[in-house]
Amino acid sequence: MKNFNKIFYLFGLFTVLVACNDAIDIDQPGRLDAEAAFKTVADLQSGLYGVYDRVDTSGEIAFSSIFTDELSIGFDNGGQGLADYAFVLNAGSTAPEVFWVGAYGAINAANRLIEAAQLVTPEADEQTQYNNILGQAYALRALGHLFLQNYFSTNYEDDNALGVIAMDFVPTIDQQLLRNTNGEVYGLIIADLDRANSLLDNDTSDPTFLNKDGILAMRAVTAAYRGNYTQAATFSQQLLDKYGLANRAEYEAMFLDTDNTEIIFKLERSVGDNYDGQGNTGSPEAGGWAGARFAFVDATLAGSPYFEMGRSLFNLIDPADIRYDVNVAPTSVIDPDYATNNDPALDILVIQKYPGSEGQPLMNDLKIFRSSEMLLIRAEAYADAGSFNGATNSTAALIKQLRDARFGTDTTLPVYASEAEAFAAILDERRVELAFEGHRYKDLKRLGSRANQGVNKDPIDCAFNGACTLPSTDYRFTLPLPIIEFNANPGLREQQNPGY
Amino acid sequence: MLTPLLVLCMSFSFSQEKTISGNVTDQSGLPLPGVAVVIVGTTTGTQTDFDGNYSISAQVGQVLRYTYLGQKTVIRTVGAASTINVQMEDDAEALQEVVVQGYRTSTKEKSSIASVTINAETIENRPNASFVQTLSGQVAGLNITTASGQPGAASQVNLRGVTSINGNTQPLYIIDGSPVDENNFRSLNPQDIASISVLKDAGATAIYGNRGANGVIVIKTRQGSYNTGLTVNYTGILSFSTLQDNDYNLMNSQEQLTLERDRGAGLGASLTDAEIDAYQTTDWADFFFDTGLIQNHTLSLSSGGDNSSQFTSFGYFDQEGILQDSDLKRFSIRNNTSGKSNNEKFNYSTNLTINYSESNEPNSIGSGAINRNYVLGAYISVPYISPDDYTNGADLLSPLVFSNTPLFLLDRLRTYTRKEDEVKVIGSLNAGYQLTDNLSANVTLSADYQSEFLTRAEAPDSFNALLFGGAANPTSGFQQQISTRQFSFNQVTSLNYVNTWGKHTLDAGAFTEYFKAHFRDFGFFARGLDPKTFYPGDDAGFVSDNSANDVFIDDANATIRNAGLFSYFGQADYDYDGRYGITGTIRRDASYRFAGSNKWATFYSVAGRWNIDNEVFMENSIFDVLKLRASYGTSGNQRISGATYFSAPDLTKNFFATGPGYAGINSIFLSQIANTTLKWETVTQTNVGLDFELFNNRLRGNVDGYIKETSDLFQSTPVSAINDVTELDANTGTLTNTGLDLTLRYNLINSVDDGLNLEIFALGNYNKQELGDLPSEDGELIGTGRNGGKLFEYYTIRYAGVNPANGNLLFLDADGNVTENPDADTDRVWIDKNIYPDFNGSFGLNLDYKGFFLQTQFNYTIGVDRFDNDLADFQDPDAIGQFRHSRDLFRVWTPDNRITDIPSFDAFNRSSFTSDRYLRNADYIRLRFASIGYNFPAKLLEGTGFSRLRIFGNAENLFTISEWRGFDAEALNNGSRIYPTPKTLSVGFEFGF
Repeated sequence: MKNFNKIFYLFGLFTVLVACNDAIDIDQPGRLDAEAAFKTVADLQSGLYGVYDRVDTSGEIAFSSIFTDELSIGFDNGGQGLADYAFVLNAGSTAPEVFWVGAYGAINAANRLIEAAQLVTPEADEQTQYNNILGQAYALRALGHLFLQNYFSTNYEDDNALGVIAMDFVPTIDQQLLRNTNGEVYGLIIADLDRANSLLDNDTSDPTFLNKDGILAMRAVTAAYRGNYTQAATFSQQLLDKYGLANRAEYEAMFLDTDNTEIIFKLERSVGDNYDGQGNTGSPEAGGWAGARFAFVDATLAGSPYFEMGRSLFNLIDPADIRYDVNVAPTSVIDPDYATNNDPALDILVIQKYPGSEGQPLMNDLKIFRSSEMLLIRAEAYADAGSFNGATNSTAALIKQLRDARFGTDTTLPVYASEAEAFAAILDERRVELAFEGHRYKDLKRLGSRANQGVNKDPIDCAFNGACTLPSTDYRFTLPLPIIEFNANPGLREQQNPGY
Repeated sequence: MLTPLLVLCMSFSFSQEKTISGNVTDQSGLPLPGVAVVIVGTTTGTQTDFDGNYSISAQVGQVLRYTYLGQKTVIRTVGAASTINVQMEDDAEALQEVVVQGYRTSTKEKSSIASVTINAETIENRPNASFVQTLSGQVAGLNITTASGQPGAASQVNLRGVTSINGNTQPLYIIDGSPVDENNFRSLNPQDIASISVLKDAGATAIYGNRGANGVIVIKTRQGSYNTGLTVNYTGILSFSTLQDNDYNLMNSQEQLTLERDRGAGLGASLTDAEIDAYQTTDWADFFFDTGLIQNHTLSLSSGGDNSSQFTSFGYFDQEGILQDSDLKRFSIRNNTSGKSNNEKFNYSTNLTINYSESNEPNSIGSGAINRNYVLGAYISVPYISPDDYTNGADLLSPLVFSNTPLFLLDRLRTYTRKEDEVKVIGSLNAGYQLTDNLSANVTLSADYQSEFLTRAEAPDSFNALLFGGAANPTSGFQQQISTRQFSFNQVTSLNYVNTWGKHTLDAGAFTEYFKAHFRDFGFFARGLDPKTFYPGDDAGFVSDNSANDVFIDDANATIRNAGLFSYFGQADYDYDGRYGITGTIRRDASYRFAGSNKWATFYSVAGRWNIDNEVFMENSIFDVLKLRASYGTSGNQRISGATYFSAPDLTKNFFATGPGYAGINSIFLSQIANTTLKWETVTQTNVGLDFELFNNRLRGNVDGYIKETSDLFQSTPVSAINDVTELDANTGTLTNTGLDLTLRYNLINSVDDGLNLEIFALGNYNKQELGDLPSEDGELIGTGRNGGKLFEYYTIRYAGVNPANGNLLFLDADGNVTENPDADTDRVWIDKNIYPDFNGSFGLNLDYKGFFLQTQFNYTIGVDRFDNDLADFQDPDAIGQFRHSRDLFRVWTPDNRITDIPSFDAFNRSSFTSDRYLRNADYIRLRFASIGYNFPAKLLEGTGFSRLRIFGNAENLFTISEWRGFDAEALNNGSRIYPTPKTLSVGFEFGF
């Protein structure tokens, strides 16, 4: 029996030895819980870089250029983008999903930072930095809402129309919110811009972060989109006065990311960041180098361009214009008789807007606000006010000013027969000036009717699928709310945009 | 003081050595070949020959021991006589097949659980690197599919359907008491396996608690036996594997080029008839796939003394995959020992296996990367380009055209390295001490260690490096190495009580189990290689970062994860008179994964049996065995997300993380939103089964019905995008598998005299899935299924053929009306099809005649629907000029050919909608395995020194009957351009002495 006891104790000891909680109470290394995440102003600064990282327009560049008339299917296309290119757009399409989810992700990150900042008390010498962080967080929240409004609101000018869900707080996971009105959403955007403006300091030297000039640009764009041209004129003029226009050399350098003359705000893209890669080619999901929206390898003929420049856009650009040099790769194969030869293989227009930087082909900063856009907004305001002709203070004068800078010569002052013609000229100028920067879809939506223009591809680009034109009044110029949101928030189905 | 005296007192004598001979017979007087005859206390021994005769030299007074499996051991002392004939008696206890019950074993008669045991004979000598592939079709209810022909690839193993959506669906594997990583068997030598038991019902699996939800597979490796002389066995197998056939009916160069010319695309567009005729046809499938040679050598040594025995084996396996650049080489050693104390109170066994394998494993398989996926190159490369067109990577840069796909890949074959080296060690110690006659204490300690090195390198002069590096960077290319180590330790400590009184037998145990696992990895990704000094795996060619640009920045990575489980449990088994039995199990289980929410769980089961054949009224019935079983119980799945012990380790917490943010600047961002109600998934299973043997055991079989419900299913639950995510995983919903397992074996011809024996068998499983309580308003979740529907039921637009009027595609809208323009959202419907089979199993025969044997095993699967995306590639009109096509396109709609299944090449909606157009039935019958061979009779081997000699030939996947047009009907996979499993022919021989 003695022996038995001994062994029993031994057995017990074994059990106790291994029964320690080390098997079940395990903290994995390297975890940062919510309480410890933001304790100092430096933490908030790191958080701000996290919020900026959520802002990306590569998807917008892809979608706008494929869906409208900026590009054509390239000889090295392996099926990329064919649905968007044929105007197929529905609640299950990629663009509505990634735009909706992406923008709300950025807004959520901004809101988390704003809420975390309330719990951090800055030291006296940190107050400026703290204010700058908070100001940029509000500005980024405004930018997110503005982006959503641009794609999901049916009519920017109607404050009673449905906008998107206005989010100025961190939600709980069971919340199912419905759409706010445009008035409410724009109200939040303006309020955020006001808050940002009062918090930010006066340093506007670094265009890769949102500063007071960026706020002003956002105000100008918001006002112009809403048809509020009095405000738009004031804001855009202020920026135009301050930034002016780039000369031809500066303009070329701007797209190599070595000149910022014209740049009010751009998103920095650099080697090793989270966008350093091909991303999703041919899809609005994008997420990589801007130039990889058009080519797999680089912006030359040998760089496997799966999209080429649309012929109708190409025909609009004068080879003497610096914008020709910027947008058309020198390796392009140009067939002057393309209309008669009718062979896309003889006419290869390689897009060169994003040739690459820092030694990385196709990787370039994403330009969000440039002074030339401010000039064109100012031109819209003149046209809206009826002053579209004249050597000064008119649409025509501004268009001439822009062309002078781009051609490097004294160009003819245009004369417009009607307001529609003036708006058409603005739209054409925007098409060239802002090509492949994600503007065309929104521009057609808001200016198409006034300019009497819609999507208009050259026949050679749409012979294979028959999808050549799309009027700007088509329901597809407002994106549908995505199915993915309905799965969680079925009440929104009732608020789906018309046509879908 | 006594010892020296004793030695001194030993007497000397002349002892007489003589030759003893005799004959050994069984109970009925038939000769018994192969009986071990050993002189006790020596290593001298022999075996009886085919006629039961033996002869051995021994001294008078020595003791001979006669042992044979299933017979009682006989002892004889050598006396004056030189002939000793022995008649052996059946050993009723030993003849009973041992049934593994988890932590204990039982006899077949007294087992209350649903389980199947496969013996070595049915799994050995197969050319598969992983034994799991060999198990396919051998157990009713066990559905094993392999989606990759990569040597040693992991298989998908589902027992009685799938029980989890996001979590682990593979059974728990226990090798010699050690739970092991179920995704990695390529390093284990299947020839070492003695038996595999598959535990199916809750009665069997509840004792594994949190880990038993998907069933348990218990593997025992070979052991030596006590008191046997040295036995040496060698098996050598040589195999050839080739690509399985396809039915895509692909075009030759002339057809492809003519099609291109007609479409005005690609090379053909500018060629004349004569030029087209001049092109050769290259079938790139024959280039990227070729015959793979497999060698398999196993040498084993086993022996045993009075108190110890050992089994040692050495294995070498070398398999070339059928895909270029894929192979596996493995060296394995196993040593199993067992021993006991003189009083037999203490016994132990140790199992140790050390394995090293090296494998070339191409990546990007299944992807659409025309410069990386060799399989894509094999399938869709245009036939008019030939390997002779290749010069070097630089020449492929311009013009850069898709149709050069095979050359890009040929370049990659020459310049890309991807290799895995692995060391795997599994060791276990089982020890027990008999405290009293009824009570014993036992401990099992086991460890599984795995260390893997991945080396990847893209040479600087490769097409890919030049393509993406560009002229700006002539020293592009990269090298990556990752070291991954995984260690797990498991300990089970128990007290066991067994007692028999009268007609009652009680077997009870109390257990604790401790499990801890550690995962570590680290590695680097180096950009920039100098072609002058580059060699894969070496750093001589590394190019350093410089101030001019950031393209040579290297990355480093490292991970630490720890996981653990702790449990205590008890089991009691009671038998009355061999007629009735009941087994109860209860287990308390804690998992590290739920430490922040629901740390502890309880699982239990009750199982009972009635051995009807042992009842008095069954005497003289046709039934030799008739046993009714029933069980009910629960088991859990704590690996609810991802397949490993380490995935989703702390979902109960909110986390932020630091890392590169805007412009690569270090930043802080949200990385995880907490789920504070997280728990395990529970599988509740009811099983009723019948085991039967009739007509003098000629007809044998069992049938089991089950209902298996997974509750608290861990699955994606949609949340509004305003939360920064669109779904969070939560425990919600149920998944029920209801089904039937049936196994039948019948000895059609059973003759002792002329030696002809023929057994036929059939086994199968029917399984039906049903989802319930899905987390959405309307009970539907796209991608998962709908309430009352199948798991992963397809939800898509129905394709309705080609419009004869204009060649456009026709679809059905939600109401069943034909349309060319369905709504991509609202016209999708549930089509009551999914990828999992309704029926699967096998049938075949085993025949032997005087040493010749023939086995066949046909596997079948019914109810599998898969998307044939390879067919979609071969029929894609937008790829004309770039890739290869099927002759199906000859049937294209034209105004002159209006009734057809191929839409007009210009149909406006040809790529507008996702539909079921390419959904195909993938049911099949396949000759999964056939073997033919000859066992040389002992008579013929007399005087050769061999005790056993066998030659055989095997075939795997010899042919398949299926509507599926692709290369492999078996893969449970909706992807395309995947690596098919091969067809393999082998020859082998085995000898022993």
